Amino acid sequence: MHPTISIKGLSVSYDRKTVLTNIYIDILPGNLYGVLGPNGAGKSTLFKSILGLIPINAGTIKVEGESITQKRKSVVYIPQKGDIDWQFPATVMDVVLMGRYPHKKIFERMNVEDKAIAMKALEDMDIAKLAKRQIGELSGGQQQRVFLARALCQGAEVLLLDEPLVGVDVKTEKKIVEMLRQMAEQGKTLLVVHHDLSSVNSYFDKVILLNQRLVAYGDTEATFTDENIAKAYGGQLTILHKTQTLKQ
Amino acid sequence: MTELFELFTYDFGIRALWASVMVGLMCGVLGCFIVLRNMALIGDALSHAVLPGVVVGFVIAGTGVMAIFTGAVVAGLIAAILITWIQHNAKTKSDAAIGIVFTAMFSIGVIAISKVSRKGGHLDLDHFLFGNVLGLSNADLYLTGFITVYVLLSVVVFYRYLFATTFQPIIAETMGISVKAVHYYLMLLLAFAIVVSLQSVGVILVVAMLITPASTALLLTNNLKKMLVISALVGVLASVSGLLVTNFYNTTPGPAMAIMATFFYLVAVFFAPEKGLVFRYWYKRQAKWKIQVEDTLKQSLKLQQGGRLSFPNLLERLEFGKVRLKEILRSLSRKGLVEYNTSNLVLTEAGAGNANKLVRAHRLWETYLVEQMGLNAEQIHEDAEKYEHILTEELLDEMDASLGFPKTDPHGSPIPRKGKFPENPLSTLSVGEVATIATDQIDDNLITKLWQLGLTPEKSFKMSNKNNGTLEIILENSTIKLPVELANKINIYREQD
Repeated sequence: MHPTISIKGLSVSYDRKTVLTNIYIDILPGNLYGVLGPNGAGKSTLFKSILGLIPINAGTIKVEGESITQKRKSVVYIPQKGDIDWQFPATVMDVVLMGRYPHKKIFERMNVEDKAIAMKALEDMDIAKLAKRQIGELSGGQQQRVFLARALCQGAEVLLLDEPLVGVDVKTEKKIVEMLRQMAEQGKTLLVVHHDLSSVNSYFDKVILLNQRLVAYGDTEATFTDENIAKAYGGQLTILHKTQTLKQ
Repeated sequence: MTELFELFTYDFGIRALWASVMVGLMCGVLGCFIVLRNMALIGDALSHAVLPGVVVGFVIAGTGVMAIFTGAVVAGLIAAILITWIQHNAKTKSDAAIGIVFTAMFSIGVIAISKVSRKGGHLDLDHFLFGNVLGLSNADLYLTGFITVYVLLSVVVFYRYLFATTFQPIIAETMGISVKAVHYYLMLLLAFAIVVSLQSVGVILVVAMLITPASTALLLTNNLKKMLVISALVGVLASVSGLLVTNFYNTTPGPAMAIMATFFYLVAVFFAPEKGLVFRYWYKRQAKWKIQVEDTLKQSLKLQQGGRLSFPNLLERLEFGKVRLKEILRSLSRKGLVEYNTSNLVLTEAGAGNANKLVRAHRLWETYLVEQMGLNAEQIHEDAEKYEHILTEELLDEMDASLGFPKTDPHGSPIPRKGKFPENPLSTLSVGEVATIATDQIDDNLITKLWQLGLTPEKSFKMSNKNNGTLEIILENSTIKLPVELANKINIYREQD
């Protein structure tokens, strides 16, 4: 199987401080990946590198065999909740329609067809009724769906999600994971930055464990082992993780 | 009245009117993006920084409209580039960088104007500082018209780029939109708008025309397209009414326009629906009243269950005074939720039903917090005190179902079931009523306890006394005393059922 994203020898540093060193990963289509690692492990930097938002020191990143600039349409980034201005005067429809922007030429106007595609995405995410609402008026779960709808509207093949499950209640969390799984089943590739180690096994097919270097990646069962967790997080967290599994 | 409009019988008056309309429109529209991008200070900076460009243009090419315009736009762009460069490369705070650049350029401009004037050139500093809308030439007016059309067209054509880069610059970048290019294009439009506005409102006050109408519009709507229209309207209203005020009181136009814009802004601050202070104050009062009414109902229910409901007892349990309580009770009485007069205070069945809804909300929320959010039972009471007033019936039902219809809250108190509750707990019986113990109780411990007291299921008993937190019932000729807390938990069938 051809990898959707192929990262070879990636190194990134900010102001002489190295964040990622010599990373090699092949990300396969149709999978839901958990991207794990402590704070400062370089998870966001990995995303920004894939998206071509920051200069990289060394290495190559190919999306479906091409450079990111050729594949902008098919790679979507969903930032953390805290990075979005929820007071902004934008409606749900405005936000989802953004998914059509990369499909348009510079002077081309939005038309009925674009609106229909956006509406379809809203229906798929079951939030069509909220189209005219201002984004700040929605619940946490609905807000995540708006951004998933935008990804659908854009026709994205790769989704990079930065902590989509932070600040939502248990029930919404389950629902969002369910939706992400469905997208993976439809052949899309999803990378999700995640912090709650106790739910990794039940949520993700595959994991990427990072701590500035690549600790391990692959099928969750084989990769998400106490040994690898210890390597990524250091000793203390493994104990914490074990106590958590004891409780269940 | 005719005096007010006399201005428009003159050509220069008509020109001033047109210029004001266009400046209001253009600044109103552009200002929306300036406000949403937190660039108010940049707007101010650019307007000051164009001054040296005006002088250079004048020295090189004379008083022609295009000379001054070109010089000013170039100076504005130099300022924008300098500011961005300092922000990215020198270790200086963003807003400080803006301040440093514009004060320096403005000073150079002021000194240059005085030098040029002394050498006999005719450049009036006052006109640039405070505008000279009544002295516009036809050429000035045509230029203003051309720029207005250009700016408005740009906003329409590049609307989605402006929207995307303003709302989510990083996402715009991942979509292949050059955030930098949009930023500099907006700077160019801003420089255009500022330069043509200089003649009507002046360097110092042009920023008012940019940010005040836009801020007014933002108070009135949550939709960017509507915001652009409202802001444009407010901008036009402010500049035209400012012009009329100028004529009437014989003052300088710039300040009059800025004051009118501020006036509209203040009206919106106070009276905007939803976001206005008056509305929010009124809404807060309503909410406070609702909470007090609901607390009254809830405490009345608790007291009535203990047979101790009276005005003084109720007052003691509530956080507000006598006068307020009387007012609330009268309102509840009108709605048929309590019977209230000088000697008597009773919660009606409808009132008890309403109070039970609150108890249900409170206890369900506590259960939800403990079971699903993982808080512990000690932390939750205060939170529930707030939320019991806010949670909707719909949400409560959903919560109830997702929790599997729990019978008790984390403190062990029963959660009233929807609808059939008023009949259920023993404490709701009034003195003299007869009932039987239900077979279905909230837990086995309680059944054991009841059995120890001789209260086995289907036994008939009579409520004989309710007083000070203790209930007395008569069962087979013996009197049994029950604390209210226990009586609250005991499930009964009423005799008439």
